[in-house]
Amino acid sequence: MKEIIKKLTLTITIVLGITAIAFSQAKKPTIMVVPSDLWCIQNNYIFVYDNQGTTVKIPNYKKAVQESPDLMMVISKINEMMAERGFPLKNLESALKTLESESAENAMLTSKSGASVSESPVDKLKKTAKADIWMQVTWIVNQVGPKRSVTFNLQGLDAYTDKQIAGASGTGNQSFTVELPILLQEAVLAHLDNFNSQLQMHFNDMFDNGREIVIRVKKFDSWDGDLEKMYAGKELGAHIENWLKANTVKGRFSTSDATENMMLFEQVRIPLYDANGNATDARGFCRDLQSFLQASPFNITNKLMMKGLGEATIVLGEK
Amino acid sequence: MKALFLKTKLVLILILGLTVAAQAQRKKQQPRPEELDTQAWRYEIEPVNVGVQGTYLIKVWTFSTNPGAAIEQCKKNAVHGIIFKGYAAKPGVPGQKALSTDPDTENANFEFFHTFFMDGGKYMKFVTVTNDGAIAAEDIIKMGKLYKIGLIVSVDVAALRKDLEDAGIIKSLSSGF
Repeated sequence: MKEIIKKLTLTITIVLGITAIAFSQAKKPTIMVVPSDLWCIQNNYIFVYDNQGTTVKIPNYKKAVQESPDLMMVISKINEMMAERGFPLKNLESALKTLESESAENAMLTSKSGASVSESPVDKLKKTAKADIWMQVTWIVNQVGPKRSVTFNLQGLDAYTDKQIAGASGTGNQSFTVELPILLQEAVLAHLDNFNSQLQMHFNDMFDNGREIVIRVKKFDSWDGDLEKMYAGKELGAHIENWLKANTVKGRFSTSDATENMMLFEQVRIPLYDANGNATDARGFCRDLQSFLQASPFNITNKLMMKGLGEATIVLGEK
Repeated sequence: MKALFLKTKLVLILILGLTVAAQAQRKKQQPRPEELDTQAWRYEIEPVNVGVQGTYLIKVWTFSTNPGAAIEQCKKNAVHGIIFKGYAAKPGVPGQKALSTDPDTENANFEFFHTFFMDGGKYMKFVTVTNDGAIAAEDIIKMGKLYKIGLIVSVDVAALRKDLEDAGIIKSLSSGF
């Protein structure tokens, strides 16, 4: 009787495990609509400052969402149509407000003993609105006599690889009488399906060939070794490349840059699921590389940092 | 002798009856020339204007010897074209890609589309004729024995896409996540 119960329990556990793997879902990228730098500069929604004699212009997204009803209408229409497609987007205005309120809360937060929240300089730098894919929108109003038309451009940019993964652009019909918001609305309706078609192709490629990520390897200056140090007859950099060859999808990656202090790997294709069938991302993938470097014969203490789903940095030498 | 004769007569009548029924079935299964044109992609689609949200406003050109039959076939061709063909742009109106990007979709889901595009089938849910089906004079072109009929229709692409996603014919943006 005990044997039967044991076997039954084992069978049920195996079946549940297989089911979990079969229904495992990949990590979903976040998408956010933002105005392009060009649109912000043309419409004067920018910070301007002097950087050692060079004038630098940075988009002021907060001012843009607070003062431009046309921008709000375009973002709202795109968000609405993407939600209808079953892919709700992050809203730029809400993301900016969340950043502000979290900053304020962190500044006020103290424990019962009076301790405040730790924040390194890197933490401060990372306090920006985040998304895995930016939908960058630009439009120009063309005026030919009394007629107006809108040239509309929508770009889907991968936040980590900097590649344009989808896009749609074109100029609409000229009109005497139609208001600009209507022209903009028509432009979104006309172009979004083509954009989504290319986005779907990008997702299909991801499921077929793995997620494309960027991996950076750096070193702290307190570490006496470097990426040219020899281990078992090969340079450390060569060992890392061999590890990537063995663990990426079809051995696909490109070494874009390599010195004794740093290496940059781009177009790295990682599996969507780890060995246990759980969804993984750049950080999950690089944890294995981190363990590989911490183990013999390397025994290198290292720090793993991540940026979203598609970028990870390993810094050698310390935590 | 009489009984044998009667039995033979009965058997002959049965055989004849079955043959006629079989012939009738075969005639019923013969697709109309317009249907063959659709299967051979022999129709044209062009954009008219940007439709309201979730729809495409297009003009469909169908070839037929019978202008009346062409109106119904135009509706079918509109939905067929949106799913498998897409259409090119014209100044001021961008083109659209087909809903299905896999060239093998139609063959791989033959039974589904056979039922979908039957006369009176589900395709009718997604297409609306504008102008109450009235065809402008310049949209009826006589080409020898054939007529080329142009009809403006509105296709509810959003609902059509959702229906195909639910049937597993095409992938949705969030599938796999």
